[in-house]
Amino acid sequence: MIDLSAFGDAVQSSPLGVWAGGEIYPIANLVHLLGLVMLVGGIGILDLRLIGMFRRIPTEALAAALTPIAIAGLLFMIPSGATMFASDASTLVNSWTFQTKLMLIGLALANAIAFRFIWQKRIGQWDVNPPIWGRVMAAVSILLWLSVAALGRWIAYS
Amino acid sequence: MKKILIAAALATALPAALQAHHGWSGYDATKVLNVTGKFRTVSWSNPHGTATIDWKGKRWNVILAPTGRMEARGLTQAMIAPGKPVKLVGYPRIDGTAEMRIERVTAGGKTVELR
Repeated sequence: MIDLSAFGDAVQSSPLGVWAGGEIYPIANLVHLLGLVMLVGGIGILDLRLIGMFRRIPTEALAAALTPIAIAGLLFMIPSGATMFASDASTLVNSWTFQTKLMLIGLALANAIAFRFIWQKRIGQWDVNPPIWGRVMAAVSILLWLSVAALGRWIAYS
Repeated sequence: MKKILIAAALATALPAALQAHHGWSGYDATKVLNVTGKFRTVSWSNPHGTATIDWKGKRWNVILAPTGRMEARGLTQAMIAPGKPVKLVGYPRIDGTAEMRIERVTAGGKTVELR
């Protein structure tokens, strides 16, 4: 069993934690927000198409356009999020909001990876014959990412 | 589709039911604390500076503002360093924890608003 509080204190008082609490912090915050816009903007619109909206737009082409934007957004979010975590780790490790957020990120990523394994080959047929469970997974995806975003914002108030 | 959007809105609103801490709503603005003393420790860092002070027989956590905001308003780390006299106007945590969020600080002959 890892002592979370000791871990948080160690991260926050480390050189990384001290650096993260300096002038870099608001920049990390901005990068995190940019990443969020790209991730949820990209995958959220694709999810809506997968669920069944915007049927005039070919699903395969939309997926090819938006998936890289979403992944790039995720890649922005990880280091910027880690930076903000390092600066406030003592509080965050014991924050219910933060813990729940991390858990939902894990679920959302697992859902995304599972979607790719299960439905990637059928994405070309989505316009004529969308699988019901694929649509359900897309709905789960958008719900999870919106919840992650809401919890992220809520960390500062809980 | 409409149901999904409603569910998404609910999922987004859910955390609002949780108890606030860092926002001002977690502090009781009707109980104004006027503190004169010296900080024991000061952490000049983001997302907001923090400090500790012994006051009325308790050791209080003190929540300051983001460092960039304090600096922009003329409050430096040196002005509130441990041992320097400071005057604080702040509010206590609603849940009774010995923690106060600071509205304004007077140090080095200067009064700076932190909100």
